[in-house]
Amino acid sequence: MKPLWVAWERAAEVREAARAWRRVGAIDEPTRMKIDELFPDPRIALSPVWRALTAGMVAAVTLALFSAFAIALGRGSAQIQVLLLLCAGMCLATTEALAASPRSARRGAVGALAFLGIGFLLAGLGLVLVESARLSFDDAIDVVLVVAMLTCGSAAWRWGSSFFAGVSGLALFCNLARLPHGRLLWLVAGTIVTGVAARQVDEGRRAPSHRRCAAVLIVVGIGAVYAAANVYSLDEQWLEQLARVVPPRDELPRGAMLLAPLATALIPPAVLAWGARSRRTFLLDTGIVLTALSLVTLRHYVHVAPLWIVLTLSGALIAVLTLAIERALRRAPDREIAGFTADPLFSDERRQHALHIAAVAETLTPAPPAPAVIPGLQAEAATSAEAARRRSSERRVAIAGDADEVPLGRMTPKIGDCTR
Amino acid sequence: MNPDVVAAIARLETEHVLSTGQAALFERVARRRLVSVRFEIRTLLYVGILLVTSGVGIVVAEHHRDIGALATAAAIAVATVACLSWVARHDAPFSWGEVESPHVAFDYVLLLGLMLFATELAYVETQFTVLGPRWPHHLLIVAVVYLLAAYRWDSRTVLGLGLSTLAAWRGLSIGLARGALAPRVAGDLRADAIALGALYVIAAALSVGLARKARFEEVFATAGLLLLLGGLVSGVLDERLAWGSWLIALLAVSAGVMWVAFRFARSLYFAAAVAAAYIGLVHLLFRLFPRGSQESIAFLLTALLGAAGLALIVRAHRVMVRR
Repeated sequence: MKPLWVAWERAAEVREAARAWRRVGAIDEPTRMKIDELFPDPRIALSPVWRALTAGMVAAVTLALFSAFAIALGRGSAQIQVLLLLCAGMCLATTEALAASPRSARRGAVGALAFLGIGFLLAGLGLVLVESARLSFDDAIDVVLVVAMLTCGSAAWRWGSSFFAGVSGLALFCNLARLPHGRLLWLVAGTIVTGVAARQVDEGRRAPSHRRCAAVLIVVGIGAVYAAANVYSLDEQWLEQLARVVPPRDELPRGAMLLAPLATALIPPAVLAWGARSRRTFLLDTGIVLTALSLVTLRHYVHVAPLWIVLTLSGALIAVLTLAIERALRRAPDREIAGFTADPLFSDERRQHALHIAAVAETLTPAPPAPAVIPGLQAEAATSAEAARRRSSERRVAIAGDADEVPLGRMTPKIGDCTR
Repeated sequence: MNPDVVAAIARLETEHVLSTGQAALFERVARRRLVSVRFEIRTLLYVGILLVTSGVGIVVAEHHRDIGALATAAAIAVATVACLSWVARHDAPFSWGEVESPHVAFDYVLLLGLMLFATELAYVETQFTVLGPRWPHHLLIVAVVYLLAAYRWDSRTVLGLGLSTLAAWRGLSIGLARGALAPRVAGDLRADAIALGALYVIAAALSVGLARKARFEEVFATAGLLLLLGGLVSGVLDERLAWGSWLIALLAVSAGVMWVAFRFARSLYFAAAVAAAYIGLVHLLFRLFPRGSQESIAFLLTALLGAAGLALIVRAHRVMVRR
């Protein structure tokens, strides 16, 4: 990634944080504008809707052009191979050009073109290997998986896409599953990927997008370890089915069926504990999902009760436990326990919106809460507005706005207290 | 930790852009010394409610004979009343504006209560056939209750459920999803979708215009446009109809939606209208240049049309941002 792009990303992080502070009334508009001024990001940033629309149209144009040329050139395999590889090259070159331009870097076209470019490349390569090089289907799959891992990894590195980082990780594990002792390799590689990525996720020298890629790789690594260790996956030989040669059941290592239940039970709490200790919510989320999977595995092997009882009781238990945690956090001194709070902080809103967008166009989940206003900071916002105005007039920088515009909302005494 | 934000906070404090108090809190959050788990709490509550309603659904479907019809109905009724009583005890006074949720579980208990109410009504209908041949009307009752509850307790979730139940009452959920229905039935469903969609869009406009639950606009308009534009697109794609008239109607409605969305800076509606118009025009191209040697021309023109669409999107966004 070019140093200039990294600088833009760093500025964008700060500007985004400032917007979140402004949203909850912790700073006023002149202060936010001042921060924007101090951390310039020349890229035009579109909202997710505009980005999705642009990406959709770019994809439609590219696919239509490809189809037009494919039909015009004839339907022979050789022509299609050349066309696929040509389109791949053009898409990837255009992606690089667009990513370098502040006007187009964050419009959605970069992601769409990179996705199509890599898709064309892999499809073209697959056809070349099977049709022209006459490789066996298994060999072709192996080569395509290796190339997918490398190209997606390069795309993640070059353009900072966490999606490609995730795909690259998945391709790596698919490659390993095709080797002998794939399950063991998943355990080892999963642990290594998680460990290496965990060291990068807070590393200041890395670009913000690369830190996000590291977070995705941690989840992929944990997922791989869990998939390899899960007793049901072992019992059903899920990973072995991906291998070139499926080994017979009796080739499973001795003691594997004894250790797997233990691992199935222990990995989720271990991930939860790691998440709680490091206060990383994505790890907590991963731990919650793994816990649910382990409980489903348990229910598969141990029929403790009829399904309806299990569902109703577990649902009620989850709700009661969650409410108890929320209540404990709310009533704790300073409304926090060990650095966790149930109050919506600055960084929450985007994730909540994502949840609501995902949940069937906002019809199945409640709306996000009203942003909290922080009393202590609200007063300070007014003060800092005054200070900003003073500084602005001194520096002859015109800054409009007023702290009185800060929206009123729910009080958050703890946060107010800590600022006094 | 977000090292970029941590470094920026230090700089902003030094340059007196942020006060010491502000910087202290922001740094605490940026360093992950204070983390919010509100997202996790809400998600878990939602999952809990879904599990409970799934469990109740299985009981009703599989075990109601063992338990007895009256006992089952009574049990669900008790649970419904318990949930809605809790909601009534904790609710805030009614307002046409935004009402803050009084408790983190409020929305979820309300959702559970209303879903149990719907289950109860469906169960009573199947067991005792109260409405007889007009049994689909029980969906209308559920939808009306959802809509009333949405307004009373200011819940966009319940409003969304109400709108989709109303659509289900008109048979839309099945009709438009499956294309293999008889022409007349499909036509009726399409007409219903368009009428209901238009009604929802009008409701969205009224919500904002009259300042009556203005925050419901997004839910009304999104559901309305989905039905309205979806119905028109389905008319264009239907081989048995005069697709030209449907296309003209689609383009006219899409243009209208784009204009309104552009004027009031509503990007989602603009996107929906652009997508619908694009599908309609692509269909026109493939009608003009059918399969065979001319197909590549159709694809080429589709690409050009897409490029024009892109130019329109870029231009519209630029003007919207400038305004």
